[in-house]
Amino acid sequence: MKITVLQENLARGLGIVSRAVSPRSTLPVLANILIATDEGRVRLSATNLELGITAWIPAKVEEEGTTTVPSRTFSDLVNTLPGAQVLLDLDGETQTLNIKSGASVNDVKCIDAEDFPPLTTPDMEDAIQLNVVDFKEMIHQVAFAASSDEARPVLMGVLLTVTNDQIIMASADGFRLSVRKATLSVPIEKSINAIIPARALSELARIAGDGTDMISMTVPDGRGQVVFRVKDAELVSQLIEGTFPDYEQIIPRSHKSRTIVSTASLLKACKQAEIFARDGTNVARLEIKASEDDMAPSEIEISAQSEETGSNETIVEATVDGIGLLIAFNVKFLREVLEIIKTPNVAIETSAPNAPGVIRPIGDDDFTHVIMPMHLG
Amino acid sequence: MPRKIIHLDLDAFFCAVEELHDPSLRGKAFAVGGKPNQRGVVASCSYAARAHGVRSAMPMGHALALCPEMRIIPAKHHLYGEASKKVMAYLHNITPLVEQISVDEAFLDVSDLPNAAEKIGGRLQAQIKDETGLSASVGVATNKLIAKIANDVGKKSAKYGKSPFAITVVPAGEEAEFLFPLPVEMLWGVGPKTAEKLAERGIYTIGEIAKQSEKKMTRQFGKHGLDLSRHARGIDIRPIETERETKSISQETTFLHDVSDNAKLQKTLHALTRKVARRLRKAELAGKTVKLKIRWSNFETITRQKTLPSISDSEAEIFDAVQSLLEKLHSSGKSVRLIGVGVSGLGPPLRQLSFWEEGAEKSRELEKVLDNLNERFGKNTIQRGNFTEN
Repeated sequence: MKITVLQENLARGLGIVSRAVSPRSTLPVLANILIATDEGRVRLSATNLELGITAWIPAKVEEEGTTTVPSRTFSDLVNTLPGAQVLLDLDGETQTLNIKSGASVNDVKCIDAEDFPPLTTPDMEDAIQLNVVDFKEMIHQVAFAASSDEARPVLMGVLLTVTNDQIIMASADGFRLSVRKATLSVPIEKSINAIIPARALSELARIAGDGTDMISMTVPDGRGQVVFRVKDAELVSQLIEGTFPDYEQIIPRSHKSRTIVSTASLLKACKQAEIFARDGTNVARLEIKASEDDMAPSEIEISAQSEETGSNETIVEATVDGIGLLIAFNVKFLREVLEIIKTPNVAIETSAPNAPGVIRPIGDDDFTHVIMPMHLG
Repeated sequence: MPRKIIHLDLDAFFCAVEELHDPSLRGKAFAVGGKPNQRGVVASCSYAARAHGVRSAMPMGHALALCPEMRIIPAKHHLYGEASKKVMAYLHNITPLVEQISVDEAFLDVSDLPNAAEKIGGRLQAQIKDETGLSASVGVATNKLIAKIANDVGKKSAKYGKSPFAITVVPAGEEAEFLFPLPVEMLWGVGPKTAEKLAERGIYTIGEIAKQSEKKMTRQFGKHGLDLSRHARGIDIRPIETERETKSISQETTFLHDVSDNAKLQKTLHALTRKVARRLRKAELAGKTVKLKIRWSNFETITRQKTLPSISDSEAEIFDAVQSLLEKLHSSGKSVRLIGVGVSGLGPPLRQLSFWEEGAEKSRELEKVLDNLNERFGKNTIQRGNFTEN
């Protein structure tokens, strides 16, 4: 293999794929990045067997070939190369990659590409086309609510269902649930129901680019995988096996109290409460005050306290419809959902201090978030 | 206006109660505590025993060597509890500003009462003596620190073999003069280690601490040094705290014979955890940090702690944490002399509710029902099957 690439392109490509490298695996080759000539371009791939990422970069190919380069050494080196151009020349006999750029000459020991897990080329013909901006927003609104507890693998994933022209993402860690719906421009024929690791979706959001780009998604039959292709990159993830809990059951169908409040003001109050709450139990108390009569303004008081640091309370103007009540939440959960809500106002619906709270953006019926409260006793 | 603080302490309290219970003990050398072959220590000793050099907290075997004719009386805690309640009630009759520090010791703030503190103290002594037959000693000063030390000094100067029934007054303005000649050990917060460090610097009396600058003491002993420096000059602004805030709840036990068997350690730990969890629930508290304490056969004591994912008062959750700590520590199979479990980071038992974990909620309900039954029909009336001690 003998190729010339731009340092900038190589660094960007490595940045994309290196997140899938598995530095502490028992398989040494998984700490490496596959580098291969591919129809006039260079393909970079990394995998940890659950998540694989590939990026293609432009190159001048003088001689075809392939090998795997240690990720850390290669990335660190490329990021510091002095020249605009990088010449990569592989000695196939010794699996040594000679890297030249400006006055810098390096020999890096590689592992034969034979040892690298085979990369399948999926058929993207029936892939669903998704708008990058919309899909990234869906991921941001849902993936954070997935669990990081390995004891319940299903909850570490995001449930993706696509039927006709409706696409739904849902995740839940046992304490909160995030559901986001969207409509596809072209209906699909075959429904999809898959649990995708939240981490894979977060990586996808990172590499997906923006603007008018599209994401192609396919769930090939019988492979237990999902494949996403974006401009010049591809992400393949194993699906999580199992049954996702019936989340519709969690969403309360009624409420006794509905409070409408400015998203930004409530977020600010929550951030302040968190400064005190984080030292202790992470609890913020929300006192929803119903107005005495319809004309009087109502409000919501957010407070937190800590043995060590002190206490805080903020009053935010609100429109309270229904009963007043005192309810306590993990303030981190509240802050995280408010951060991804784009509408200027948000509604909190609840019925009792030990009943779930539902957060809905005003004017956007496609997003629903449910948080279980912290309860005394 | 200087404050008027009284420190009241019952003299050889457990022994005094025993003498009332069994008058034949009067004037004899005896100690309340565990038997020497069961590693007992002296919980309280009569003044006759003290004359032989016996002191509380001394291993019983050691005490017997000093005073072979000494009788050992097993503790009757219910009697002590009743007597203590009566005495504390007298104190509360005088003022609500009572800070009870232990079963036989309390501070009173009588600043707002017209009479001199000395007079109030004397009357209390007389009343306690008349109505319960117990002897109390009193220290009077302008703050808690001096009142307590005054009482200690007064009790020490009592005649050997007799109840002190002392009353010691340090008038306002004479605090420093009173403190300066006393040995550093009489100051609160000076244990053997600090005393040793002070001695290395040629400091033996409280007056010598007072001569050091606050800065120097802080540099050498940190925040503790600053407290020492102020206390040594008789400064103590702490108010009477009528309700002590619980900072941690713990239980520990010393084995009759050292134990290396892991199953037995776990079982003991479980029984201790059950008590801790029960006390938490009774106090309507839950804790965030779980601590395991182990003393090896060679008296080396170590503690390890773990933070729970969320605040808890559940026996099962606390035991899970403390068991994982034990696993890490006891892989060696070393012999254990003492084992204990504690929970700190206490607060109201706020729990993160979850969508699906009905099991945990049911388990909590069960623990509450068990608590109620044990409360009504006596300890250990009913327990969870797998934890029952045989």
